[in-house]
Amino acid sequence: MRQFATILSFELKNYFKNKIFVGITVFLVLLCAAVMFYPSIAQAFESDDGGQSADEMQKPVMLVVPEDNADEQRVQSLKQAFESAFAGYEVRVERLSAEQIRSDIDSGRIECAFEITSPTTYTYYVENLSMYDQNSYTADEVLKNLYQIAAMEQQGISAEQANQILTEQITHETLNTGKDQMQNFFYTYIMIFALYMVIIFYGQMVATNAATEKSSRAMELLITSAKPVSMMFGKVIAACIAGLIQLVCVFGSAILFFNLNKAQWQDNQIINSIFNMPVNLLLYMILFFILGFFIYAFMFGATGSMATKLEDVNTLVMPVTLLLVIGFIVVIYSMSSSDMDNIVMKICSYIPFTSPMAMFTRIAMSSVPAYEIIISVAILIGSVIGIGVLAAKIYRVGVLLYGTSPKLGTVLKSVWKA
Amino acid sequence: MELVIEDIRKSFGEKQVLKGISFSAGSGKAFGVLGRNGAGKTTLIRIIMGVFPADAGRVLTDGKPIDYDQTKLGYLPEERGLYPKKQIRDQLIYFARLKGMKQTDAAANVDRWLGRLGMSEYANKRLDTLSKGNQQKIQLITALAHDPEIIILDEPFSGLDPVNAMLLKDVVKEELARGKTVLFSSHQMNYIEEFCDSIAILKDGAIAVGGNLEHIKRNYPRNKLIVRSPQAELILRDMADVCTRQDRGELMLVLPAPERKQEFMRRLADSYDIDEIKVFEPSLNDIFVEYAGEKD
Repeated sequence: MRQFATILSFELKNYFKNKIFVGITVFLVLLCAAVMFYPSIAQAFESDDGGQSADEMQKPVMLVVPEDNADEQRVQSLKQAFESAFAGYEVRVERLSAEQIRSDIDSGRIECAFEITSPTTYTYYVENLSMYDQNSYTADEVLKNLYQIAAMEQQGISAEQANQILTEQITHETLNTGKDQMQNFFYTYIMIFALYMVIIFYGQMVATNAATEKSSRAMELLITSAKPVSMMFGKVIAACIAGLIQLVCVFGSAILFFNLNKAQWQDNQIINSIFNMPVNLLLYMILFFILGFFIYAFMFGATGSMATKLEDVNTLVMPVTLLLVIGFIVVIYSMSSSDMDNIVMKICSYIPFTSPMAMFTRIAMSSVPAYEIIISVAILIGSVIGIGVLAAKIYRVGVLLYGTSPKLGTVLKSVWKA
Repeated sequence: MELVIEDIRKSFGEKQVLKGISFSAGSGKAFGVLGRNGAGKTTLIRIIMGVFPADAGRVLTDGKPIDYDQTKLGYLPEERGLYPKKQIRDQLIYFARLKGMKQTDAAANVDRWLGRLGMSEYANKRLDTLSKGNQQKIQLITALAHDPEIIILDEPFSGLDPVNAMLLKDVVKEELARGKTVLFSSHQMNYIEEFCDSIAILKDGAIAVGGNLEHIKRNYPRNKLIVRSPQAELILRDMADVCTRQDRGELMLVLPAPERKQEFMRRLADSYDIDEIKVFEPSLNDIFVEYAGEKD
């Protein structure tokens, strides 16, 4: 036990002395700070300029060319409708020929133009049509609206009445008896992604750590000084603690910065939904994080111990990484199809390699009966212990094997005999 | 502390690596384990260190099966290696602590050993900044810092310059004087002859010859004569069946039986002009080559 404590503290110190570990943590904390403080900072800059910056800024010019037979009233209503629909543009209504429009666009005097040829047809001029250009859709709506109002006026309905009819809003309320997937989606996504990244990152660290000790031959001394079980568990638990500390730093600072800037984020539903995550879900997250982390870290450690050279580590851990990736894809796919309880997800939430992500997602975004959670967690805990012991045995055999990287079958055979 | 190895056997798969090894090494004595590469030395050492169990046989300390929680073992592996990127003092303390020492005791011992081996100035350097010989001295500290009762040194002299080799010899002698049991494994026979009272030469997983070194030498069949003579060519021609030419013009006669050495000596002295005749005294090197070599 004392040996285990010695190894744990040694490995933990290594993480805190590791520049990459510290660097990534600091970077993520700064990133959280930057995102959370952004509205406050942006606001501060705007108020410094006396609120004029937005007005002073040159808005791009949008030209609307009315039909040849349009009267003054038509011109006015076009100008009004386009101005209110395109707030980001300075809308000018002028009669220009097609050539003039082209040359004005080429010279940059105007950014785009709508040449209206009839109440229901127009030509849209723009220099470079961006993928995100929504102008023609908006113009469709504007012209359709004007056309409908005009048509209603002809039927004896006043312009105001017509406008009211067309702009009437439907209000509704949703009563959710289960989970609100819209609300849960973002924080579940963030959690799953964090879990995935942390397992990959620390798993690789554990594997590389074991392989480095082996390739530098420090293993010769370690294996004669400490029990493989102590070494394996010391490494894995140190990585788990380091990972948790990193997550706490990142999420903790995010929550802190969010609360400091709460006022600025009031209107942002996504951000609010993330930070209003229920506490019980957070506890589930920690539970599945620890168990999922252990199961993978043990496998990464065992495979790392089989590598003879550091270069072999990446190839050797590939199958383990693949297991994780499969679980991740299944979960993300189910999340985006919003069918959380499909048969694949159900199966995955009992397989210990995928259940940390699959079961957590189902708990977060669907209604899972308690017994299913208990069974899943029980299988997971059992597997963690089983795989931990097996990994320590593989480790003991693996670290003494030099030369070509051994086949898994050979190793398992010698583990069985040992 | 007396270390007794009792009929140790070990197989890896089909291959039988150790076929019943037995010997004992006493307190304050050095025991030499010799053998060619692949003879089973490292496997034997790993079994003594408790890395893996033997298929059969026992390791005893003072007559009782070894208790790895109580017995302190120090090991200098042949494959040297520590953490190249870590501070020397830190990792030495770590290794001493792994062997069950308290932080303060470990630090005190590590500092003492760094001083003893003249390495104090490197205490806070990274290991990979040191020369190979100095790295070896650091490695030696990992074997000694926790004050083990049994010290296993695998090729301790390889890579050391004569000054450092002398330093290591002194250290080993000091440890022996303090009553430690030292197990030596080396191919440098002169060091083995210097330190070890007893040896075991391993061949294909079995002890080819073992026991007290003087005893082994004395029991070496005294059926070889070394002859120096101006008439070497003549002798070589007359006794072609038993005579071979050695270095520096000496001749060696391998007699059919040791009892006939008087007869051969007289015959040589009577028939030829002889400068010197002596019975061949084998060095450890000769014994090693004879027993561990390819001869079957």
